[in-house]
Amino acid sequence: MIDESFDSDLALDELLPPVVRHRLHDALAVVLGAAFRLLDARGMPLPGEMDVTGSRIPLVLELEPIGYLEMSCDDVLRQQAAKTLVELLLKNEARFKMASRLHLESVYADYEMLQTKHFALQQSEARLRTLSETLEQRVQEQVKTIEGAQRLLYQAEKMASVGQLAAGVAHEINNPIGFIRSNLNSARDYVRQFESLTPLVKAREAALLAEMWQQQQFDELLQDFAELLQDSIAGADRVARIVADLKNFSSVDRAELISADLNDCIRSVCNVAGVQAQQVKIELGLEDLPTLTCNAGHINQALMNLLLNAIRATGERGKIAVRSKLANREIVISVCDDGVGIPAEVLPRIFDPFFTTHDVGQGTGLGLTVCRDIIAAHGGRIKVESEPGQGASFTIYLPILV
Amino acid sequence: MAEYDEGMGKLTFKLVYYGPALSGKTTNLMRLHDLVSAELTGELMTLETQNDRTLFFDLLPLGFRTPSGLLVKFKLFTVPGQVAHDGTRKAVLSRADGVVFVADSQRNQGVNNGESFQNLMDNLQRVGLDAQHLPLVVQFNKRDLPNVLSEQEVLERWGTAPWPITFASALSGVGVVETFDALLRVLYRCAEAEYALAAQHQLTEQNFVAAVIK
Repeated sequence: MIDESFDSDLALDELLPPVVRHRLHDALAVVLGAAFRLLDARGMPLPGEMDVTGSRIPLVLELEPIGYLEMSCDDVLRQQAAKTLVELLLKNEARFKMASRLHLESVYADYEMLQTKHFALQQSEARLRTLSETLEQRVQEQVKTIEGAQRLLYQAEKMASVGQLAAGVAHEINNPIGFIRSNLNSARDYVRQFESLTPLVKAREAALLAEMWQQQQFDELLQDFAELLQDSIAGADRVARIVADLKNFSSVDRAELISADLNDCIRSVCNVAGVQAQQVKIELGLEDLPTLTCNAGHINQALMNLLLNAIRATGERGKIAVRSKLANREIVISVCDDGVGIPAEVLPRIFDPFFTTHDVGQGTGLGLTVCRDIIAAHGGRIKVESEPGQGASFTIYLPILV
Repeated sequence: MAEYDEGMGKLTFKLVYYGPALSGKTTNLMRLHDLVSAELTGELMTLETQNDRTLFFDLLPLGFRTPSGLLVKFKLFTVPGQVAHDGTRKAVLSRADGVVFVADSQRNQGVNNGESFQNLMDNLQRVGLDAQHLPLVVQFNKRDLPNVLSEQEVLERWGTAPWPITFASALSGVGVVETFDALLRVLYRCAEAEYALAAQHQLTEQNFVAAVIK
């Protein structure tokens, strides 16, 4: 802090510090050729001044005397010369002091302003730091929300394909159930006819029984009965197989890793998908594969998505080839169809979320996205080749981890 | 308000000539030095200049003694007008008892005048002075130049302001004393109440002004 403001009045001793005053004394002694002393504005001698009496002349700075020169010299010219010299000295000293004090004052004011600015900057920096900290947190919250939404969407996608399946499967199960039921109705009639023979058997009327047997064509009936039961057993087996495949497919929700033969997965998925597209011919070309530690439910879902796309692309009477092999320590599974193919402008976008060429309500636009994500989660990759009208070929590469 | 040194019987007023660069603040002081007839007129102290432009300040001391023996002293300062010297301007302005704002009358100087006046208001607030009650006179200088705002235009723009407006050509001395006269009168009205100038020192407004200007 500055004690003195630059424009406060200056006193004689401020302008003549001891060293200056000492040298001034030597010079004035020569000029005056007599004893003298310096007094302040109130007429009090400055400290250390000798006791001298004589004529006293004022030393004026600005308007009024700021001190006096008292001397035993009566020479007016010498007195005037001494006064002029001291006043010039005082004036220059005053100029210098005012300028330096003003300079200090403005520098200090600038410094204070810088301090204030610095403080404000620190505060705003602190605010920004807090903001950036909460920003990180907010971003993470947002990411969590998005991940949650994504999970829900994937779930929805799965439900959609499961729903699509369910319609086909219901039809497929309904069919054998229908003819098994019809067979059983016939069987009940046959049993009644055999029942009508009971009185003849009990009465031991062999001749009558034989005539009746012949007349009623019981031989054919018996043969038909056996065939009917055989058909029903085959139908029940078919239902059991479908249910078993479905059960296998529904392991989608089990997140644990299991050691699986992917050929089994392919077969079961083809069975489940095949039931809803019986006109489509699915060819399997499966080479022996080592088991792969994977999330089989998810792999099933990926394969199912590819297969459903292929079925949709081929239409009524298409051909789909599913092949598997081992190459370069990778399991390679390809799904090729002879369907409509994918236009070149659409090809780069097919794995994009929500990109769909199907009508609204026909697909979620997530099928291939989910497929790619599942393969990526297993450290693999998926490739597609297609030309319009020439069908499409999707190839999955899954590395075998040792 | 003012600095009263009872021991030395001295009352000092600090008066500041403020305004944009090159508006004629130093010229005002130089002419005033020649034109006033105060009992005590000091030398005009010019601190330091660069190409004739004030770097620190100029100081002109004026004064007189009342019959009661009181020394009434006026320290007239100029500030450096250039924008860069705001720190110095602020330091000179602090503790001011009155201000003359020297504006440049030329038509193309309106923006500079406005910015400098705003700077004056800002700095007054920063050094803790109340612009509402500080004695202030606005002088439109350089009336001798061509292409200046007419007096009517100036009054239309500034007439509603509470401060006295004066017109001057400082270079030839016209209006310089009148401006100072106007400031002294506003100053007296502020100081009178505080220091009982009339009652204790037989100093009326007329005496107060006449003692400096005659």
